[in-house]
Amino acid sequence: MKTIFHHPPEPAGGKKYWRSLEELSETPEFRSLLEREFPRGAAEFNDEDGLSRRSFLKLMGASTALAGLGLSGCHRPVMHLVPFTKSVEWAIPGAPLFYATSMPGRRCALPLVVTTYDGRPTKVDGNPLHPVTKGASDVFAQASILNLYDPDRSRYFLENGEQADAARFNLSLDKIRGNLAANGGAGIAFLVEQDNSPTRERLRGEVLKKFPQATWCVYEPLGNDDAARILEAGGTRLSPQIDKADVILALDCDFLGCDDGGVEASRAFAARRQPDQPAGGRMNRLYVVENRYTLTGGVADHRLRCPASQIAAFALALAKEIAKRTTGNAALDPFDGGIAKPQVNASFVEGWVERTAEDLIDARGRGLVMAGPRQPAAVHLLVQSINKALGNLGSTVMGMPVTENPGVTIGELARDIADKKVNTLFILGGNPVYNAPSDLEWEKLQKSIPVVVRVGIYVDETSAGCSWHVPAAHYLEAWGDGRASDGSYLSGQPMILPLFDGWSDLDILARLAGLPKPAGSELVRETFRSIAKAADFDAEWNKFLHDGFLEGSAVAATAPQAVAAPAGYVRDNLNLTSMTGEDAYEVVFTSSASVDDGRYANNSWLQELPDPITKLTWDNAALISPATAKKLGITPKTFGQKDFPVIEVALENRKIEIAALVAPGHADHSVSIPLGYGRTATGWVGANAGVDVYPLRTSATPYFAAGATIRLTGNVHSLAITQDHNNMEGRALVREATLDQYQKNPEFAKTMWMDADLPATNPTLYSHPPMTGLNQWGMVIDLNKCTGCNACVVACQAENNIPIVGKEQVINGREMHWIRNDRYFASWDKQDDDPEMVMEPMLCQQCENAPCETVCPVNATVHSEEGLNVMAYNRCIGTRYCSNNCPFKVRRFNFFDYQQRPVAPQKVPLFGEVSGLKLGPLTEKGSPDTLKMQKNPNVTVRMRGIMEKCTFCVQRIETAKIAQRVKAGPSPDVRVPADAFQVACQQACPAEAIVFGDILEDSGSKVSKLRKDPRGYTLLAYLNVNSRITYLAKIRNPNMKMPGADKIAEFDAAQQEKKPKGAP
Amino acid sequence: MANFFPRWSNWLPIKLLVCAFVVSNILTGFVWYYFTPKYTRVGYQPIQPVPFPHSLHVTQLGMDCRYCHSFVEVAAHSNVPNTQTCMNCHSQVQKDNPKLLPVRQSWTSGQPVEWVQIHKTPDYAYFNHSVHVNRGISCFSCHGDINKMDVVTERQPLSMSWCLSCHRAPEEHLRPEAQVFNLDWTPPAGQNQRDIGLALKKAWNVNPPENCAGCHR
Repeated sequence: MKTIFHHPPEPAGGKKYWRSLEELSETPEFRSLLEREFPRGAAEFNDEDGLSRRSFLKLMGASTALAGLGLSGCHRPVMHLVPFTKSVEWAIPGAPLFYATSMPGRRCALPLVVTTYDGRPTKVDGNPLHPVTKGASDVFAQASILNLYDPDRSRYFLENGEQADAARFNLSLDKIRGNLAANGGAGIAFLVEQDNSPTRERLRGEVLKKFPQATWCVYEPLGNDDAARILEAGGTRLSPQIDKADVILALDCDFLGCDDGGVEASRAFAARRQPDQPAGGRMNRLYVVENRYTLTGGVADHRLRCPASQIAAFALALAKEIAKRTTGNAALDPFDGGIAKPQVNASFVEGWVERTAEDLIDARGRGLVMAGPRQPAAVHLLVQSINKALGNLGSTVMGMPVTENPGVTIGELARDIADKKVNTLFILGGNPVYNAPSDLEWEKLQKSIPVVVRVGIYVDETSAGCSWHVPAAHYLEAWGDGRASDGSYLSGQPMILPLFDGWSDLDILARLAGLPKPAGSELVRETFRSIAKAADFDAEWNKFLHDGFLEGSAVAATAPQAVAAPAGYVRDNLNLTSMTGEDAYEVVFTSSASVDDGRYANNSWLQELPDPITKLTWDNAALISPATAKKLGITPKTFGQKDFPVIEVALENRKIEIAALVAPGHADHSVSIPLGYGRTATGWVGANAGVDVYPLRTSATPYFAAGATIRLTGNVHSLAITQDHNNMEGRALVREATLDQYQKNPEFAKTMWMDADLPATNPTLYSHPPMTGLNQWGMVIDLNKCTGCNACVVACQAENNIPIVGKEQVINGREMHWIRNDRYFASWDKQDDDPEMVMEPMLCQQCENAPCETVCPVNATVHSEEGLNVMAYNRCIGTRYCSNNCPFKVRRFNFFDYQQRPVAPQKVPLFGEVSGLKLGPLTEKGSPDTLKMQKNPNVTVRMRGIMEKCTFCVQRIETAKIAQRVKAGPSPDVRVPADAFQVACQQACPAEAIVFGDILEDSGSKVSKLRKDPRGYTLLAYLNVNSRITYLAKIRNPNMKMPGADKIAEFDAAQQEKKPKGAP
Repeated sequence: MANFFPRWSNWLPIKLLVCAFVVSNILTGFVWYYFTPKYTRVGYQPIQPVPFPHSLHVTQLGMDCRYCHSFVEVAAHSNVPNTQTCMNCHSQVQKDNPKLLPVRQSWTSGQPVEWVQIHKTPDYAYFNHSVHVNRGISCFSCHGDINKMDVVTERQPLSMSWCLSCHRAPEEHLRPEAQVFNLDWTPPAGQNQRDIGLALKKAWNVNPPENCAGCHR
């Protein structure tokens, strides 16, 4: 008989934490589904794709009969040891080598250190030596290694679609060069991605010297060329100093997530977010105005929903409030009188703008107002005037020099092509056929050019119809360089020779310019020579390569003057969009947290990575607010919903059909749709993933477009969302309080909910495993610092050879991520349109009294003397009782052979398309060679039928223990010193939210100190599991004068009265 | 009714039981002896592409193990030598010996010599050489008297229970660090292995892992 546990019910009067609107419906189906770990049908085959249990057994029976029953003798097959012939310098078989490099990016380059085994890179991490990033990385850097090894990468030169080779391409290139030399390069154009590489700039100069008439166009679909032109006209780019700001107002600026901030913003923000600041500092306060929930909005103390097109109106309202309250503000005077009253029905929550303005004025010189990087230039100029009026310029807003010369925009290039001024186009990277503004009709334009040479890492939409497709070298295969966010010069060493003889941007530019030494290393050396001006060049060069950056090359930020915009620019261009009419919607084209602008569409780790907010995988969806949903007639269906209604989004005469997802905290009259999906020319990963939204985007409306209409089509589409797989159910897993509450009672988290009634000693019936190890491992996760960016999830996947399972299996709840970010919305009233959002990383708690260990029938999971809950994969027989017993549901089971069987759907006669996983022995066994190269050799690759979970990176722990013992040799000094190594998630986290190490007090490690933090608590302590992971409660810093401030981060008033532990 | 069961069938159930008991015991014993690594692996002596004699090189010529197995003190995998290591001597010594032809061919062609692997643990068990040789376990303990072998033979089963027998009692195999690569070492007169081992175990704080994570990652 099934035991029904009656856990303590959700506190009636307390703050509610909920996962989704579906949960709020609370139908009986929802409740029953909640009790099952996997949704109904997950443990069985679905009939829908034609393969029911019965037909599977039929197939299996037939194939077993056909299988050979050969015996291979009593000894294992012969295996060989194959050494090198000539010794290779530095190569120790099986031992890792670490090289520094950098990953080029839109905004700046990211310094990296890459782990290589036997000549192949396996893991990308941040460079801990770099003073700004200090080892942090983001999801794209972590997942980029899979792009290197993508089996669908372009492997061959293609001349007009036919396979060719480098020799023929070189001949073609010489011919092109000859033709163009005659007329000074008129008619040659370059379409490149944004990259601040000094060597590329230098080569651009060389090429333009040779072809003075050439056109250089930089295009990034997620960039903001038009604004940059105006804002950076003086050669300075504004750089917000987040660590210096006490009050931050982010207008549609997700600086902690995808926009503009990068990893250094997370680190700087997290440092100021601590409730106990050093030397009399204050915990910072964040106001966010945005149209959809972003990571920054989740961390905010106060958040206002506002359509993206109305940010301009908000900025103007704020400017007026500030002007009203301060005198002598020359910066704002033109706006006060100059702009006509906004003709919009844009009203903001009563008091929001006023109180925010007051707080910003109070924090003069220590405040910071930021506008989203894709907002129009007029908004940015207005925001800068606000900053100037508040005295922030020169303290929290500094200037950095722009290092690249501007090029033309893609619109101008398109005009030149249409005017037949371009006869040779070089497309270096990017994918303009897919992501150019739709009004340009780029595909037609491109086909009209006689010679198009495309250097691309995939044979994609842009490669079709090109004269030449050149396989591109990945950044890990090619020489390069870049500048970090502080301007320091970074090296870009290759880790491996190009796998498919690819060429980098530098290669092709050097050849075009006819340079005598076109090898990548030589080119970077030349650039280094001019930048470093070193006395001992070779020593400096070696140090540069070793460190990954040139010491002392950081560019000091300067106090900026207000941007000199053309007079009256803001007055004339501030577009105060009116949202008239009930059915007026804006469409916001957001960047995807998984595939960026579409370049990672074939990266399976990123496709399966749940979007931090919506937890959507393998797809994009149109996000709409609950009010909009109600108007359309969409009701959140029962929990475990698979099919979502499809809506049609129409802008003038262009329309798309896309599934609609109801997003709590989304602005009304606004629809957010991530770009980057619906690719047509990719490998199986990107195929059939989402809807292409680029057709809706025009040059005039690169970020948002007003005047859209939406309607239900009546169709449905299945979406794989992980958010409903795990719920909090009224248990205080995430604990938060306001700064005031924390200061009154620092240990509030230790006595919340059931923890208030914990007995002094919690008796246990079974014996505690002996913790006799010299090191005891534990972890602290600071919820106050965590933004939920998911860098830890991808880092763990890369480090531990975690497979991907495909969309169908994610729908069944079988995603394999060992660490996940649980995202909860929080509100007092479940119908609240403005909930708060909290993130909680969840991984195996390594419980000292682990419920999973006692129920394993074969003792495959045991406890080590160092406090780890250890998994012996080869013992596991797949009972899944351990996962059943785990209260945190962090154990992942390999239902299929994800590593060796194809995840993609296969065509089967009579049955149609069936997932390769379900076909099992009928498919080809094995993994593509390149994917095998990525695997970490220190971690077992698990097969079907095996349970796995976070091991605290036991391979790194053992490596550290071995290293210490080898160092100790014939001495007793075998204890691993404090903080000698990091686990993968800790290493990736840009906010330093995860700290791992030896928890024993005498070790002096960081984690042992953090465990004593008063904010610390463990999860489900009343179950006496004695988790080794301590969570530090989240603190919010609300401004009590703001509307709605009293609801923020308040936990149950009744619990507030409970006395702290130990109080008389 | 007539008896249609013959008399002898009275004893049938007991006979069946005894027979089943005896047969299952024999089968178990058979598998226990013949199907475990102690029988299947010990004595494995495959034919190598080059008949390399350790006895000549180590005992007669006095080469140290680490000249060829150069990374054993720093890495998990103890490497077999590159062709270049062999050619260090054999470009001049025995340079026309037909037995060394595969080595010379490997050197000129660039194709490596494919040695047959003898000592192998499963892929999910991660063994690390460096921590053993640096902490007082000699090559001899696992590879036997390899310095005297003309052809390498597997002397130990390398099964998990065999590994655990040392991990649970390392004093049976610990020796002074200077003697790790002296495969002929025996405890000096008047001392025995266990006493030496216990003293070293205490002095060096030797506690080999006995939990699964020590080897199964």
